[in-house]
Amino acid sequence: MIPLFNWFRRSFLERGLDRELQYHLDRRVADLSASGIPEPEARRRVAAELGLVRVREEVRDVWLTRWLRDFIYDLRFSARSFLRSPGFTAATLLSLALGIGATTAIYSLVDQVILHALPVHEPERLVLVDWDGDDLITGGIGSSNLMPYPICRELQKQTRLFEGVLCRAEIQVNLTAGGDPRPVAAEIVSGSYFSVLGVGPALGRVIEPEDDAAPGAGSVVVLSYDFWQAQFGGAANIVGSKALIGKQPMTVVGVAAAGFRGVDVGAVPAFWMPTSRYADANLPTNDDLLNSPTRWLQILARLRPDVTPGRAQAGLRPWFKAWLQDSTLRPGFPTISADRRRAYLASSLEVTPAPQGHSPLRQSLSQPLWLLFAATGVLLGLACLNVAGLFLARGSARGREIGTRLALGASKSRIGRQLLADSLLLAVAGGVLGAVLAPLAIRGLIAFLPQEVAANALRDTLSIRLLTFAFFASLAAGLFSGLAPALRAGGDGLVNSLRERGGTGFGGVRLRKAIVTLQVAFSLILLIGATLFLRTLTGLMAKGPGFDTSGLLSFTIAPLENGYARADASRLVRRLDEQIRALPAARSAATARFAVLTGGHISNKVTMQTDRRTVTDGSINFNAVSPGFFATLGVRLVAGRDFDQRDSRPPGEPGPHSAIVNQAFVKRYLAGRNPLGVLIARGGGASNVTPNSIIVGVVADMSYRGVRDQSEQVFFPLFNSDDTGATFYIKVRGASEQAIPSIRRLVREDDPRLPILWFRTLDDQVNRSLSTERLLAALSGSFGALALLLSLIGIYGVMSFVVTRRTREIGIRVALGATRASALRLVLRDAVTMIAWGVALALPCVAALGKLVQSQLFGVTATDPATITAAAMVLAAGALAAAFVPAWGASNVSPTDALRLE
Amino acid sequence: MPPPRFPIPQGTLDMLILQILSLESAHGYGIAQRLEQISRSVVQVNQGSLYPALHRLEQKGWLRAEWKESETGREAKFYSLTRAGRHQLAVEKDSWARLSGAVNLIFEEGSR
Repeated sequence: MIPLFNWFRRSFLERGLDRELQYHLDRRVADLSASGIPEPEARRRVAAELGLVRVREEVRDVWLTRWLRDFIYDLRFSARSFLRSPGFTAATLLSLALGIGATTAIYSLVDQVILHALPVHEPERLVLVDWDGDDLITGGIGSSNLMPYPICRELQKQTRLFEGVLCRAEIQVNLTAGGDPRPVAAEIVSGSYFSVLGVGPALGRVIEPEDDAAPGAGSVVVLSYDFWQAQFGGAANIVGSKALIGKQPMTVVGVAAAGFRGVDVGAVPAFWMPTSRYADANLPTNDDLLNSPTRWLQILARLRPDVTPGRAQAGLRPWFKAWLQDSTLRPGFPTISADRRRAYLASSLEVTPAPQGHSPLRQSLSQPLWLLFAATGVLLGLACLNVAGLFLARGSARGREIGTRLALGASKSRIGRQLLADSLLLAVAGGVLGAVLAPLAIRGLIAFLPQEVAANALRDTLSIRLLTFAFFASLAAGLFSGLAPALRAGGDGLVNSLRERGGTGFGGVRLRKAIVTLQVAFSLILLIGATLFLRTLTGLMAKGPGFDTSGLLSFTIAPLENGYARADASRLVRRLDEQIRALPAARSAATARFAVLTGGHISNKVTMQTDRRTVTDGSINFNAVSPGFFATLGVRLVAGRDFDQRDSRPPGEPGPHSAIVNQAFVKRYLAGRNPLGVLIARGGGASNVTPNSIIVGVVADMSYRGVRDQSEQVFFPLFNSDDTGATFYIKVRGASEQAIPSIRRLVREDDPRLPILWFRTLDDQVNRSLSTERLLAALSGSFGALALLLSLIGIYGVMSFVVTRRTREIGIRVALGATRASALRLVLRDAVTMIAWGVALALPCVAALGKLVQSQLFGVTATDPATITAAAMVLAAGALAAAFVPAWGASNVSPTDALRLE
Repeated sequence: MPPPRFPIPQGTLDMLILQILSLESAHGYGIAQRLEQISRSVVQVNQGSLYPALHRLEQKGWLRAEWKESETGREAKFYSLTRAGRHQLAVEKDSWARLSGAVNLIFEEGSR
């Protein structure tokens, strides 16, 4: 550390040393003169005995250490020589900055979404407890890893294994705090939540076990630090104030520690409330969630220091077995077949490490992100190869300089170190540029990401981790790109390099060809990837959602979140449905309970009654729609009829119910029979499901969760149960922009405080649902183009070099009667060999990587021969063109010119 | 004709500097003169190696330096021992005593 510090104050040190030595000299000269030696003679003698130059050097070595001084001189020399060749410097810097910037940007997302541990006390001891096996209760509330609350309460007693157990669920509620109500994301958590995570308050207190002790106990909320800052400007008097959750008044008791954003990367909660207040959490159920077996929470636990996840899992087994047995005896346990019962009793609890918490975003994004990360890694490798190639070319030009230095006594390792300093300086400069570019790139990437939440949850700032990553990436890039030229410098014979003529010395043709071959291989891999993702995107866009999106608008309301009673909410939906249909701007309009193409869905098995009773083997997606839904969306009715007013009847009213299924459902489950008239019902397994809905129609397939979706679907009529939330679909006359205000006005007139969610065109919705595909296609496409460009430059460079070296040979051949064409062939043969080797190297890699990308593709396999051939042809054609330019020049050389060159 | 002088053994210069400064603080030229006197011109100290040694000892934290007015009235850089330097001197004296004792023992053993 001291040497580095000294480097920055070296001029101060130098001045001190000068004064000190001057004092010594003057005193010594004075003493010698006093003893009778004449002054000039004394000065000469003193200078000789002290050896000023050597003393200075040795003292400087003490200050900076030898190694650092030499290295600093190397760096200065490198910097000066870079400034002398700006073209070379710009090309290498740009290559490295692009490579490092892209890698850093993707790494930032990988880090935030996949790798980053929660900012809590000892996150490595956190585990996720999940049900493994048949849990009987179908259709939980929430996304994934769902568990019932009673298990969480029981697990808290397993103190042998766990220091603490928490459960949490993410919720969407309307919050009124000093302003209009607005929908926010929040977390409903057990009283143990904050203490298990080891997160304290920034202000006031956090949620404590007492808040959660009894149903309805703590009407308290704890705000997140970010929300407190953004909404209340960090006002200290927030503690003790009232806030409305829906229509329920709650007390703000504190603000959680800064930097803590819940345990889910994808959802940033505005506040936390205790599970005792589940009734206010706007959950779509009337169950007693604290005691019923309904699954609605994720369970995280903190292991005791000496307990591994494996031991915890084994340790839970006997207790859980007893719990399962016991649960079958409880009242309300469904009647099930002996097989199901065995499967249920064979369930176990799975304990997996969860230092990063629980995140559905991670599950959906981790594969695309790793893919892109791998692609940027390849791109960075390519950039390094490019720089290595440029260095070798520069090495040729510097051959004489280096030869001279060797002849003057510089050691080979010294020269090698100089070249390494070159590449390190360049890499660090490239890294700095890359780090400057990275936040821009990250911002662009986040804009591509599918979920709206991603925009709040992910940050585009540079963290220390990220900078460390960029630094090491640059260092690795520098070493990688500088190593080959440095080794060459050490290995080349001194005599050789001095004997070579200027400009062509310092050969390395074979090394440069190897580099170009690798570049070809790398870029072919990226090109094939780009083609595959592009075909996936275009395939999905061509397929479309299965209905006509032009002039189609949709918006969603969630009246329950605004404190509506269920019956009122249902009436509101019906009222709006009628009013929108009557709007002059609406050509037709319809309503569905669940929005399509948003990724959400509701599914369950279906029980069918034909000549016998059968249950579907897979889950079927459900929706409930109003009459005219299919006509509004332009989905073809294949058989039977659409719903009409007769089908909508309130729950409990006797009479047959109706259902419409799609073609995929008929094809899979009712093939070869007339689907009309078949009785079906939601749910499977339990014997209390009675198929009582008659299939009255069959519609063409349309996308539900996303454009990719080709699922079996069943539609029930809307308005025959309590319809508490809905998405309205309106086919407008004329431009959709003109219809939007009238629709907004209509909702506002009914209830000015009801927020309209996701008011957008279906074109927009289709685009949004394809965001991951677009992200992959756009990024892999640009990576592929960049890679192609880099390798074409590489080929051009190496071919020009080869041609320069062979000009004389070609001249002689032409003089001896060879034709232009044969000269051209001679040069191009080299290029063809490199390209062929590159392709041969890439193909097995593509085959191996294919498995990784397959799940991201649509309508094309990862090893699709046409795609691979096309990519290889593009690459080969480009590479041949790049090689042709110098080759053409060589074949046009006149023999006399070529020989005169000597 | 002055008696022939030995070059100072490797590594002992640091110890001698510490010893001289343990008595009183001094500037570089003063230390050089003291070395001359103490060794009674038997040991030859290369004046050129004195300053690197001083800077090395200062960097190790055994010496501290300050600019003060010298006996001639000009400012000079005076070195003095730090606590760590004092400790180091004790360590070096001890190991020197053991080394020379051992060497003497070997010589006596051989001459008997």
